Amino acid sequence: MSAPAPRSGPASAPARRWERWQPSAWPITIKAPLMVAVFMIGVGVLASHLVLTRLAETQERHLRALTAAYLDGLSSSLIPHVLREDVWEVFDVLDRARSLYGGIAVRRTIVLNGTGQILAASDPARFPTGTALPAAQSAVFAARAESRGEEPVLVVDANGRRAHVRRDLVHQGRKVGSILADIDISDLIAERNRVLATLALTNGALILAMAVAGYFAIRRIVRPVRTLADHLERSRQGRIGPIPRAALPPPHSEFGHLFRRYNALVQAVDEREALARRLAEEERLASLGRLTSGMAHEINNPLGGLFNALYTLKHHGEKEHVRLATIRLLERGLGGIRDVVRAALMAYRDKGQRRVLARGDLEDLRVLIGPETKRRRLTLKWNNAISGQVSAPVAPIRQALLNLLLNACAATPEGGTVSFEASANGETLRLVVSDTGSGLPDRYRAFLESEGPITAPIVEGSGLGLWLVRRLVDEVNGQVAIGVGHGVGTRITLSIPLDREALRDVA
Amino acid sequence: MGAAGGLAVLHASRAASWAAPPAAPLAFGLTPVFLNNDLALLSSLQAYLEKKTGRRVRLVQRRTYQEITALLVSGQLDAAWICGYPFAAYREHLSLVAVPLWRGRPLYQAYFIAGADRDVSTIEECRGDVHAFSDPDSNSGYLVTAAYLAERHERPSSFFRRTFFTYGHRNVVRAVASGLARSGSVDGYVYEVMRETEPELTRRTKIVRRSEWLGFPPIAAARAKADAPGVRHVQRALIDMHREATGRQVLGMLRLDGFTLAEPRLFDAIAAKMALVRRLG
Repeated sequence: MSAPAPRSGPASAPARRWERWQPSAWPITIKAPLMVAVFMIGVGVLASHLVLTRLAETQERHLRALTAAYLDGLSSSLIPHVLREDVWEVFDVLDRARSLYGGIAVRRTIVLNGTGQILAASDPARFPTGTALPAAQSAVFAARAESRGEEPVLVVDANGRRAHVRRDLVHQGRKVGSILADIDISDLIAERNRVLATLALTNGALILAMAVAGYFAIRRIVRPVRTLADHLERSRQGRIGPIPRAALPPPHSEFGHLFRRYNALVQAVDEREALARRLAEEERLASLGRLTSGMAHEINNPLGGLFNALYTLKHHGEKEHVRLATIRLLERGLGGIRDVVRAALMAYRDKGQRRVLARGDLEDLRVLIGPETKRRRLTLKWNNAISGQVSAPVAPIRQALLNLLLNACAATPEGGTVSFEASANGETLRLVVSDTGSGLPDRYRAFLESEGPITAPIVEGSGLGLWLVRRLVDEVNGQVAIGVGHGVGTRITLSIPLDREALRDVA
Repeated sequence: MGAAGGLAVLHASRAASWAAPPAAPLAFGLTPVFLNNDLALLSSLQAYLEKKTGRRVRLVQRRTYQEITALLVSGQLDAAWICGYPFAAYREHLSLVAVPLWRGRPLYQAYFIAGADRDVSTIEECRGDVHAFSDPDSNSGYLVTAAYLAERHERPSSFFRRTFFTYGHRNVVRAVASGLARSGSVDGYVYEVMRETEPELTRRTKIVRRSEWLGFPPIAAARAKADAPGVRHVQRALIDMHREATGRQVLGMLRLDGFTLAEPRLFDAIAAKMALVRRLG
């Protein structure tokens, strides 16, 4: 009791809780919609990616076309001025062009002469005339330097929300200068973001709706499974019952068929149990009858003596030595009757949860079985080595032993021997019942020795007593071993683990 | 002041008008000295001149002063509003028709301007600038600055890193205001008018130096045509402009008080500058 609680105890509880949250433990009503949602998210991401890529391509194509138109118009008016290095006219063209092209938001235009110097820029304060182009500006096109010519080179900088474009000014096959323009593409980026937001929102809503719909649909689909599972679960608690007719799906459906098969099974099990109960009752009555007849015999034997004693008292009671001897006789006779009656009462009334088995509890059985052995002229070898008390449930053990002893008596021919041994070590209570009968049929032997829960009672034959034994032994977590007695007959050994907690309580 | 055009009411076609001298309209040249980008002003001026002279008037505009001057000197224009510099240069071939009155006087100044954000107060500090001139034949838009530098034995090409011509005073202001040029030479009258009409442009510039008062760009005629009736009519119309409502409307647009007769010596100072620049070569 005072020993510290082992560490594994509390640690395993959260682990078990965790297991309940493992994906494999999730209900199918969650798993299936979740899987659909995950697939749909994948499809949505892929589709969105495709749409956005196509949109970006389309936008870039449009931008390219618009830019080409803008630069073509610009270059035709710029070339004569660039040839003459006319700073003002170049600037004037750029300045006026700013308001002419509504289609694209040109943020900045720079015109270079043939040697790469700035001739004029729309933003002359930043790009002064006669200076070289800043490295940052020329670096933008460094990677695309090979594709020069009248075709504009477009470099899109989506993060900076700008497109950089460069077009050479070619006159009579000779490059006389170039135009560099920065175009504001925030509108295009904003449109892309809007499309992305719309896609995300639509897909998200769709996925959510599908997941919810999936949840309800699957819940509806698996409802019969749940009904069946509930009924099976109830059977574990011993209340197995058929599925009500109203809850049955149509007979032609898969579940309809399954449910009807289940109901048929339940009915079969019910019938078997009813039969078993009836048989058990009959068996109980039969053994009661046998006991009663034994007890009647046991009581009847001293009764003749007792009446004789009463007669002696009536006629010779005035003689003191006669009277005293007769009263002693009466006491002994009545005491024997009292013992028999008390033992019977103990065996059949003791339904309590007494968990401490005393030597006397087993001795009662000897009294109970005594009349039967006498009636059948059997020798009863009784070896009860239990001296004090052992912790084991009393009622099932006594009932099981009584059944075994009665069976042994029934199985042993007249003049045979029935023996009983009881012993206990620190862990196990060992109870042995042997007889010199014809031996136990194999199917009863297999049944008694089998492991696991009893699925159905033995219906054939008259082995219901054994069925009771098996059930009672299971109840106390005991084991049954069957062997051959002293040369002949049957030797049945019950090994019952002692209840250590209870023992400690007693100690 | 001999011959020249008879009166004729003609269709608008230029080619046709040149082909028929008796029916030729009065050809009146305008230089970009002026706020000639204002179409309303041009049509008002044309309407006023036609009304006062009783003849069709053709306003002739060219990009440079040189083209107008060449047309005028060669007699292809009856009169033209030119600059004091070409007048001084071609004084023997030209005669004065009228001189505008600005703020009561036939005088104006040339401004040397720079970007408003710059910390400069003298022309000397603008060495190495990109400089915007108006026109190589403009007094205020070139000659005054060139003469200032010549006095200091400098040429614009050596003093400035780079120069360019905008062929319009307003463009000089635009060039300086935008930063295309760091400084510019501009007509003070045009600049002052722009202060009223386009303050957002002038606000981005500042005046570094004002020149002395010089003769206002005059209306001149070829000397050979000076006494022709057409020229006389134009002269009368100009001198009387302030007397009439439509004329006053035109003057209002030009921000001028009127026109007056003047002696050629009004432009002596400009001629002196020209000589100075030429001496330096």
